[in-house]
Amino acid sequence: MTHLKTLHILNKPPEHGRFGLCLSGMGPDDGLLMIENGVLGVTHSSRLNNRQWYALRPDLDARGLLSQVSADRVMSFDDMVELVGSAENVISW
Amino acid sequence: MAATLIIIDQPPYGSWEGREALDMAFSLAAFDQPVSLLFCGAGVNWLRKAQNPGEVEQKSVEKNLAAATIFGVESLLADRSACDQYGLAPADLPEPVMVVDLGPELTSSFSHVAFAG
Repeated sequence: MTHLKTLHILNKPPEHGRFGLCLSGMGPDDGLLMIENGVLGVTHSSRLNNRQWYALRPDLDARGLLSQVSADRVMSFDDMVELVGSAENVISW
Repeated sequence: MAATLIIIDQPPYGSWEGREALDMAFSLAAFDQPVSLLFCGAGVNWLRKAQNPGEVEQKSVEKNLAAATIFGVESLLADRSACDQYGLAPADLPEPVMVVDLGPELTSSFSHVAFAG
């Protein structure tokens, strides 16, 4: 797991104002973890370009999106705990 | 008879608002009130196939929707631009869903229009 300056945890869908705020608030050493409704962001992949992003597996699977995401971006709950631990800061949007 | 259109613009599983709207539609249909459902915005994600919500401890909304026409919901509609935005082709949508354009032409054919949530 790579070292992250700030981990942004996003649970809002792409239409929510905070989705855009979160993306524009990301620095170069930051990571994005999409959970709950936030995983719908994977269908707007052009907005995620050049970002280190991940999405939570149970939430992808619930929404029929698991097959659209490459395995290295899919996080289990255990991976999520590790990711949170590896980040200097966490922002929950 | 006065027809009702219920619009779901909330994505599934993240909140209960969409399911509550679905219950409202089913209740209207149970009392023989003409009702249709329209999915727009992030709400079109209700219509995606292969939903597997076991790990988030919910039941699939796909199954609820499959029952809609049996309960007497007249039509299931999906907004075209929202489907495009979320990468859903018409062929990806479940059988009774019709793709439409949300606008005054559509809404004017209903005497009541209500949003979920």
